[in-house]
Amino acid sequence: MNTNKKFSDRFDWTLAFIMLLFCIISVTAIASAQTSGQYAANYVTKQLFWYFIGACIMGAMMYFEPDQYKKMSWYLYGAGILLLALLLIAPGGVGQIAEPRNGAKSWFHLPVGDIQPSEFMKTFFILALARMVSKHHEKYSMRSLKTDFMLLGKIFGVLLIPLAFIMQQPDLGSALVFFAITAATVIVAGISWKIILPIAGSAAALGAGLLWMALYMQDFLQHKLGFSPYQFARIYSWLDPYSYASSDGYHLISSLNAIGSGEIFGKGFQGREVYVPENHTDFVFSVIGEEYGFIGASAVICLFFFLIFHLTKLTLQMKDPFCTYVCAGIIAMITFHVLENIGMTIQLLPITGIPLPFISYGGSSMMGNALALGLVFSMKFHHRTYMFGNHDEDEEFL
Amino acid sequence: MRKNPSKKKRAASVKAKQRANLSFRMNILFFSIFLLFSMLILRLGYMQIVKGEDYVRELARTDEVTVNSSVPRGRIYDRQGRVLVDNEPKNAITYTKLQSTTTKDMLDVANKLAKLIKMDTKPITDRDKRDFWITLNKEKAYAKVSEKEQQDINNAPDLEQKEKQAKLDQLVRDRITNDELRELTKKDLQVLAIYRLMAAGYYLSPQIIKSDNVTNKEFAIVSENLSKLPGVNTTTDWARVKKSALSILGSTTTPREGIPKNLVDYYLARDYSRNDRVGKSYIEQQYEEILQGQKAVVKNATNGKGQVVDTETTSEGSPGKELILTIDSELQESVDKIVEEQLLFAKSQGGSSLLDRAFLVMMNPNTGEVLSMVGKKLETDDKGKMTVNDYAIGTFTSAYEVGSVIKPATLLTGYSLNAITPNDVFIDEPIKIAGTQPKKSIFNPSGSIPMDGLTALERSSNVYMFKTAMKIAGVNYVPNAGLRVTLEDFTKIRNSYAQFGLGVKTGIDLPGEFEGFKGNETISGKLLDLVIGQYDTFTPLQLAQFVSTIANGGKRIQPHLAKEIREPSVDGKTLGPIVTELGPTILNTIDNSKTEIDYVKNGMHRVYFGSQGTGASYFRDAKFDAAGKTGTAEAVYYGPNKSAYGTQTLSITHVGYAPYDNPEIAYAVVVPWVTTGTNYTAINNIIARKAVDKYFEIQKKNTEKAKQKVGEKIQKPITKEQIDEEDAQKIDAQ
Repeated sequence: MNTNKKFSDRFDWTLAFIMLLFCIISVTAIASAQTSGQYAANYVTKQLFWYFIGACIMGAMMYFEPDQYKKMSWYLYGAGILLLALLLIAPGGVGQIAEPRNGAKSWFHLPVGDIQPSEFMKTFFILALARMVSKHHEKYSMRSLKTDFMLLGKIFGVLLIPLAFIMQQPDLGSALVFFAITAATVIVAGISWKIILPIAGSAAALGAGLLWMALYMQDFLQHKLGFSPYQFARIYSWLDPYSYASSDGYHLISSLNAIGSGEIFGKGFQGREVYVPENHTDFVFSVIGEEYGFIGASAVICLFFFLIFHLTKLTLQMKDPFCTYVCAGIIAMITFHVLENIGMTIQLLPITGIPLPFISYGGSSMMGNALALGLVFSMKFHHRTYMFGNHDEDEEFL
Repeated sequence: MRKNPSKKKRAASVKAKQRANLSFRMNILFFSIFLLFSMLILRLGYMQIVKGEDYVRELARTDEVTVNSSVPRGRIYDRQGRVLVDNEPKNAITYTKLQSTTTKDMLDVANKLAKLIKMDTKPITDRDKRDFWITLNKEKAYAKVSEKEQQDINNAPDLEQKEKQAKLDQLVRDRITNDELRELTKKDLQVLAIYRLMAAGYYLSPQIIKSDNVTNKEFAIVSENLSKLPGVNTTTDWARVKKSALSILGSTTTPREGIPKNLVDYYLARDYSRNDRVGKSYIEQQYEEILQGQKAVVKNATNGKGQVVDTETTSEGSPGKELILTIDSELQESVDKIVEEQLLFAKSQGGSSLLDRAFLVMMNPNTGEVLSMVGKKLETDDKGKMTVNDYAIGTFTSAYEVGSVIKPATLLTGYSLNAITPNDVFIDEPIKIAGTQPKKSIFNPSGSIPMDGLTALERSSNVYMFKTAMKIAGVNYVPNAGLRVTLEDFTKIRNSYAQFGLGVKTGIDLPGEFEGFKGNETISGKLLDLVIGQYDTFTPLQLAQFVSTIANGGKRIQPHLAKEIREPSVDGKTLGPIVTELGPTILNTIDNSKTEIDYVKNGMHRVYFGSQGTGASYFRDAKFDAAGKTGTAEAVYYGPNKSAYGTQTLSITHVGYAPYDNPEIAYAVVVPWVTTGTNYTAINNIIARKAVDKYFEIQKKNTEKAKQKVGEKIQKPITKEQIDEEDAQKIDAQ
């Protein structure tokens, strides 16, 4: 079917080039991050290895057509849920396969490396959501408030299952990613503004209310609503890190010092002076900010923005609603990761354990993102094919 | 057919509408993302451009770190200004590492330094060698662990990053062969000896690399090359040197031992460092705060990178204050020798298998100043050779049945409880109580001798004391009948003894004082044993306090070893100015009239000078007037020799004071378990007599000297050899 076009025409070179740039940035930043000699392993080679694995995943995924993913989506979603369920019941004792790390039972510790099922689940969730929404629209071509509410109910149903498992771990960061994906899908799914706006408004009000209560009504939150003190500490150390400099605030202060002292032009490759814990994973942006300054840090943000722009452009080209929803979900996922990760290093958002996509060191994160971009590569690669499939309808309209 | 296209059209128009809607919504999404990303960039711009300089300043901002450097500890002198514990300055080479110092920096310095000084390589452990080998042969070392094993460790789920590294290192260490360790040359070991100490130091705190046997040449060469040896410094360290064998002086920890593990919090709260040397026993421990001194405080300002940018001395520090003891070391050494000789003599006699110790305490009964504190202990070393060791601490940490020496206290107890009065006459006769052996005085096995309190003391009547006890208990003696005594009677007598310091802490300024044991049986026989010193146990120091109380007219005075606290000597020749003088502390006054006390004193005088006095044969010819009391206790052995537990032994004791009218000294002698038989030489009395003679001899000499001398000179420590020499001269003169 797609013999009429050459491979080079159908391959998304732009996206591949963006990936290459990210790879270079990632390796450079990690190389600088480990100069304190704090780690036994060389994370540069390891990250290159993960990039290789990621490339393999993306390459392999191009061989399947989006329609096949559409068919597979519920199975993948089910598999992801199964993994999460397995994680929940897996033995979590010391030295066992699912031993909690930093208080969260989020990883399988396998001989090949640590695997975080929620990273894969994000992509599977996007697929399932897209499939569900597109199916809904096929069934109810005439939309009304009623069908919109039905759709909304279904969307939340699909969201609820993985969310319940992830909150059990507990992993607030990942849970928020699922919310972000859902929000983007809800918007793109065409649900009436009459529904979206009140919900978004009340969600914002609830968030602001909780924040206000965390500051002024801690007792109520703690005793009546069952929040734990460490969650307040996270808020306080975010808003006023210097008062908590010896404990929770330390991480943020060192990150602020690192990035702030980078000034406009930065300190150059491996010119890093400030030691920021976890600077090869979640706090890798502090290395970029310190060594390459405002220019370098902004360039990285712009590159991410360019990636989003590219994905948005692709989304608008897609004719199949399923693909549109998948792309929107992926955009939301990447955006939220970038926003939260960079935001937390510059005191814009509180600290949560979310990596910077494609740049932070980490196998699960790399593979999860590769799965997502693999879908994008596949859609682009097989794009022409279903332009033909929809040809007659479109032509008549045009 | 018409419908069809329109339907199609409508469907298409719906689709088109949906598409338009979709792109509108995608645009909204994209625009929101654009806004959010702009926020990131705005915030970055604010931080890095607007506030960037502030953050740079924040990094350059200095943290001040306070480092204490050691000062000499206060010296300890005897009452004549003779040095007992001194500090010897030692040349020392130190190394101070900074937060920014790397392993490589330290290795470089160690390599350079190893060429200049010679280190003792003995303290190097096998582990040190293995670690060093890894440092030198990093690649070869880690090649010993296969990729797979490294991976296994890295993937071990339960390990923190640090633990993983530690596990890996352990694996490498285990696999280094002895052949490979032998690759370390002598030169390498020298470097290692330095490097291991450097690595062990705390940041910014000078770590001593070498302080023993630093030759002048080494010191000079290192001093010349300091500029090439970053972190290295040449300085003066202090070694604590004891000039006296006296065990009560105690000891200090070495800098390597640091502050005692069980008191870490106590000392750290008082600004000590972990590697400080502190007093760990007796005087050194008791007066730690005074002797320690104020350390010099240097503030090191470090920047955000851990480099020292400025150093400022905030306090110069001052050496520890000096302590003048009440001990007269000349007297101490002399009486020490007397006790030792007598102990060895008694040990050479028959029946002395359990004899292993003797004590003498001599103190000023008016001020509580302890003039000498002698304890001698015979110990057999590994080779079966007997040695005489100092056991002065035993005078207040060990207690014994003391026998008749407490009879003066018994009489005064009877008087104060209004049970008897002076001049009361009782008949000394064997006391027969149902169910026990007859109890009698040693001098009177079967007769009936009426006597008053004076004679009772002079001849050491047990029966007079028994009858006193019965009066106190308010029971009448009926031969062969039982005696009804209550716990209250024991308590009454013990409370009264406590007024003399018997069975309570004397309050001496040394840690670890023991009160003695109190028997817990309350049968009548034990009450009779109690009043002749054969039940509760007392320490030699308690005896000295008790006799002082009688000697000074009824005031229980706290014995103390510290006489004065002085500022450090300025010139090393005269003592520094006095900071505090430790005067007498009266703990309590006994509940007796002067008449009663004088009556007992008189009785004690007759012990020495009366026709039937138990101590008369030793004191009758004395050139001084004095009073005392001898004692013999039938004691059941519970000493160090466990196999002999329960053996019947005799312990002999002696208390007294001199001169009689205006007492200058009060003394107590205790020789526990002198014999397992019945015959013994009364070395208790011999020691007492010789010690008092010695006191007056030295006193006379000192008074003559005092006339010639002006000022308070620091004297050289007195040695045993000097005492021996003087004694030998005396014998020659005779």
